[in-house]
Amino acid sequence: MIQMFSISKTYPSRITVLSDLHLEIQAGEFVFVAGPSGSGKSTLLRILFGAEKPSSGEVIVNGIRLTRPGFKKIHRLRRTMGIISPDFKLLENRNVMENVAFPLEVKGHAPNEIEGKVSGALRRVGLQQREKDSILSLSAGEKQQVVVARALVDDPQLLLADEPTGVLDNRMTEEMMEIFSELHQKGTTIVFATQDTSLVQRYPHRMIPLSAGGRGVVEQSEGV
Amino acid sequence: MLSFLGYAMRRTFRNMRGNLFPNLTAIATIGISLLIFSSFSLIAFNLASLLKVWEEKFEAIAYLKRGISLDEVEELLKRIRQLDGVETVNYISPFDAMAFMEERLGGQKNLLEGIQPAILPSSIEIRLKKDYWGRTKIEEIVSGLEGVPQIEEIQYGQEWIETFSVIVKLARVTQWILGGLLLAAIIFIISNTLQLTISSRKEEIEAMQMSGASPAFIQIPYYMEGFFQGLLGACMAAGLLFLLYQVVLVAITPLMKGWLAGIPILFLPWETIARILLGGMVLGLFGSFLASMRFLRYGR
Repeated sequence: MIQMFSISKTYPSRITVLSDLHLEIQAGEFVFVAGPSGSGKSTLLRILFGAEKPSSGEVIVNGIRLTRPGFKKIHRLRRTMGIISPDFKLLENRNVMENVAFPLEVKGHAPNEIEGKVSGALRRVGLQQREKDSILSLSAGEKQQVVVARALVDDPQLLLADEPTGVLDNRMTEEMMEIFSELHQKGTTIVFATQDTSLVQRYPHRMIPLSAGGRGVVEQSEGV
Repeated sequence: MLSFLGYAMRRTFRNMRGNLFPNLTAIATIGISLLIFSSFSLIAFNLASLLKVWEEKFEAIAYLKRGISLDEVEELLKRIRQLDGVETVNYISPFDAMAFMEERLGGQKNLLEGIQPAILPSSIEIRLKKDYWGRTKIEEIVSGLEGVPQIEEIQYGQEWIETFSVIVKLARVTQWILGGLLLAAIIFIISNTLQLTISSRKEEIEAMQMSGASPAFIQIPYYMEGFFQGLLGACMAAGLLFLLYQVVLVAITPLMKGWLAGIPILFLPWETIARILLGGMVLGLFGSFLASMRFLRYGR
């Protein structure tokens, strides 16, 4: 599903966040990308959904070479993905339901189909009672739930989750992990970036460790 | 496709409502710019049609010396009628000339009180056939009459018409130079207004990009916004121009009417108005295209 060959990323400020990274993730796999702040987890995910371009190396997602010069069809690939970013990227002028419905609207789904899928996604994250509420009235944890619902709403083939439990308390983290596990069992490939090592240890999924300062992947190990 | 167009329209109008003041400013500025341009078009159009009417009424007037007898006039009329290219010949006595002036002055004809018709020269109006309206032909006829002893002077207004043609050309050149400058200004205004709209919708655009919206899906509402700004600005210009035209018609003085000798002041033909509307739309689209190239790059 995902192949990265010798990926490096150096920003114009000459800070290298990824260096000579090799990585392969199979379809249907659940992997943690773990490392401290500044180790390049977010950059790695952003490269996978085409928001960043690596300085060198090759990236292939779903058989599509993202690093091919002149590649302009990234939106097609993103339609098969669910993306969870740590800064939420929610639309404050829309309510909970409208935010979750947004990717479906963009993809041109029929209104009755949108309604059904949105209700299902909100039920999954436990926010069905708040569908008409404004985004501004939600706590950080609830916003994170909306972001997860939005990412899951169209049953993505690939879920790229950047710190999806970063603002959640333990109980909500467990609930969220349960949702991800269900999704994984249904066949979705999940790339889960986190700096919470205890979380990684609690779940039996492969871990891709990134070290601070962009020294790249040193090893790949199974969680406990 | 239809549902996408409906969605794009809804987004366009939501964007326009959300940025009402910049949008109204852009529409007003486009409207005023196009009004200036179309006013020059209207002036040039009327000058050109005036020129055409004058050219069609083309005639030479031969002023006669004082004291010539009616027999001599008869003889002269017969001689002129026989010239090639002459369509009609009309003798104007000093009394006819006075009556003509009184008619032209209308309510102000008392200005002529105390003036004797005898001080006006008698003249012959020579109207030419259409094929003889060119400068060379008229000069041939005029040179044939110049040696006639009863004729004091021949006026045929050619210089006036040529000067007027230059004025018409100048009006056209000014119209296009001004048009070029205003065109650049309009594109700049639309592009900058859309930049404001795009900035205020940055979050939404990012969310769309993350959700896999195609570049066209994101850009089309902004193209439509530019299109509507241009169209509404052009409609405003056409409306104001018509209002201005009506004001000119109402405000025109009887003296001016006399000067125009019954030649109507025309409004721009509908084809020209359609071109102005189309121009507004194209400019709007182009401005939004520029803004989109600068501020709506996808991803990376």
